Amino acid sequence: MSSLSIRDVHKAYGPTEVLKGIDIDIDSGDFLVLVGPSGCGKSTLLNMIAGLDSITSGEIRIEDKVVNDTHPSERDIAMVFQSYALYPNMNVEKNISFGLEMRRMPRKQRRERVAEVAQMLQIEPLLKRKPSQLSGGQRQRVAMGRALVREPKIFLFDEPLSNLDAKLRVDMRTEIKKLHQRLGSTIVYVTHDQIEAMTLATKIAIMKGGVLQQLGTPAELYNQPANMFVAGFMGSPSMNLIPAELVASDGEPAVRMVRKDESSMLLPVGDNPAYRDWIGKPVILGLRPETITDVGSAEQDSPLLFQGECLIDVTEPTGADVFAIIELNGREVVGRMRASCGAKVGEKLSVVFNMRHAVLFDPQTEGRIG
Amino acid sequence: MSDTTRTSGDWLRQNLPRLVLSPSFAITLFFVYGFILYTAWISMTRSRMLPKLDSFVGFENYGKLWKTLNWQIALDNLAIFGTLYILICGVLGLLLAILLDQKIRAEGFLRTIYLYPMALSFIVTGTAWKWFLNPGLGLEKSMHEWGFHSFSFDWLINPKMAIYTVVIAGVWQTSGFVMAMFLAGLRGIDNEQLKAAQLDGASAFQTYRRIIIPQLRAVFLSAFVVLAHMAIKSYDLVVALTGGGPGNATEVPATFMYSYTFTRNQMGVGAASAMVMLMTIAAIIVPYLYAETREKRHG
Repeated sequence: MSSLSIRDVHKAYGPTEVLKGIDIDIDSGDFLVLVGPSGCGKSTLLNMIAGLDSITSGEIRIEDKVVNDTHPSERDIAMVFQSYALYPNMNVEKNISFGLEMRRMPRKQRRERVAEVAQMLQIEPLLKRKPSQLSGGQRQRVAMGRALVREPKIFLFDEPLSNLDAKLRVDMRTEIKKLHQRLGSTIVYVTHDQIEAMTLATKIAIMKGGVLQQLGTPAELYNQPANMFVAGFMGSPSMNLIPAELVASDGEPAVRMVRKDESSMLLPVGDNPAYRDWIGKPVILGLRPETITDVGSAEQDSPLLFQGECLIDVTEPTGADVFAIIELNGREVVGRMRASCGAKVGEKLSVVFNMRHAVLFDPQTEGRIG
Repeated sequence: MSDTTRTSGDWLRQNLPRLVLSPSFAITLFFVYGFILYTAWISMTRSRMLPKLDSFVGFENYGKLWKTLNWQIALDNLAIFGTLYILICGVLGLLLAILLDQKIRAEGFLRTIYLYPMALSFIVTGTAWKWFLNPGLGLEKSMHEWGFHSFSFDWLINPKMAIYTVVIAGVWQTSGFVMAMFLAGLRGIDNEQLKAAQLDGASAFQTYRRIIIPQLRAVFLSAFVVLAHMAIKSYDLVVALTGGGPGNATEVPATFMYSYTFTRNQMGVGAASAMVMLMTIAAIIVPYLYAETREKRHG
């Protein structure tokens, strides 16, 4: 059953169009993450789902009911804001129950619901405190409690973790994920952090300049990015995008790579029928850093493993791994090696290219080929 | 040679703030605090037309003051004026601020209009309202000329009502300022809280009553302190508008103090009344300042 459906939604402020026809459908229980760089319209879209922003044209349905002109309080949604937006003059209990009170729920029932939610979020000892007496993480919990207590059809999260420090952000991320798994609720979550998107989502909608770039599961976005923007945005370090020429090598499509010492090598990209038309033409090769490895950490069951000596320009140790930068076709290319692989700056290393996950893009349209 | 220049330059740099501040510090110390002490001393002497510093009588003048009918009238009037002035200014200021906060067009222009009376001196306000409320000159005459012959508005010359005209003029002058204070407070409230309230299903009225106005507590306090001390000090407005009259119907402590000190040859009693006013204002302002500075030290 479709829980939220967004059909050809536009938003314009005067002549400036900030959303140019968005179509998204999610099922009940889905965790949709809207992700994109700032100014891509993701927060505007969330506000439109919440009813805090009007819809210029198009249609938003919640459980098959068009809510375009429904007041925010009657859409059966609850929202967690970036600044938490707790009412500073009320204590935690009042903050959580305010929405219920406005809906004229009897006091006794309100108490029960608040107690239930407080227990779930482990904020019972804080109920009598004012928001100013809470830490960032505690405020975050209270803000979630305020949303949970309403038991809405859809939860909306507007960059809820961006005000927390790095460690707490990771903890709260896990907590949100647990909560979603336990309650099975439908969630729409806005963030600019692609790691948050990858870890939390069951579906990601990636936006840029008011246009939906791709909608899919995290794995789809990661492995089959629709275009170069999606490829570059998802993943850290981001995908290497290397201009190359597609050639036929033994009847199979391959890309020609020129190393720093001017020697070239051919990397077959697999026999995808769509590639045939591109032979002899320039393409952009997309390779994730983890597909460029040292010999020991290569994915052994991959049918498309190729080895070549490459000069290491820079190494960036991260502890577990070391990111080695090599030069291919005049571009800096990042590979992900084991820390113990022995990569040294200025020396050659035997590098394995796992071409199973390689993708090709059209340099003109920036769309994926195949 | 160069060493001594450097040290004298250093000395100057270190002490420049003190040097610059010291004249005004000395002047304030002498003319404000010195004369407060001087007045306090006079209030305990038998001074009549001129200060007589050697005739100490203790608190006799204060006793006299509280038995003076005029002082009682002045206090009654202050109670009426002060209460209404603070209340109406506060309510009107808040109301105007809320209305202006509705994202209306030409807000800057309207804000200026409401704020402008504050730029006038109370003397100008008093004189303008005196003309406007004068039955033979202003509102009443105009209404009569337009044909409303039964219209009557004689508060200015009615001893029972004259103090309320002072309230009207005072409110007209100050409510814009209070509005500006409240407006600044309203603007300081996080926009997301209002969105959250909307999602929680609170009506506009409930949002203001339950969420916004409780957050303006500090503004209410500031407004109260500003208005209260203005009410107690108010002198020029009364002098320009009613001159304390008709009779002594609009006598307030400040006009009482002036007339006893400088025209009725009762300098001792006048000084005593000045001290009572000072204590009253101090009772309002000192706790406020204390709370303010303590808050800053904490945060």
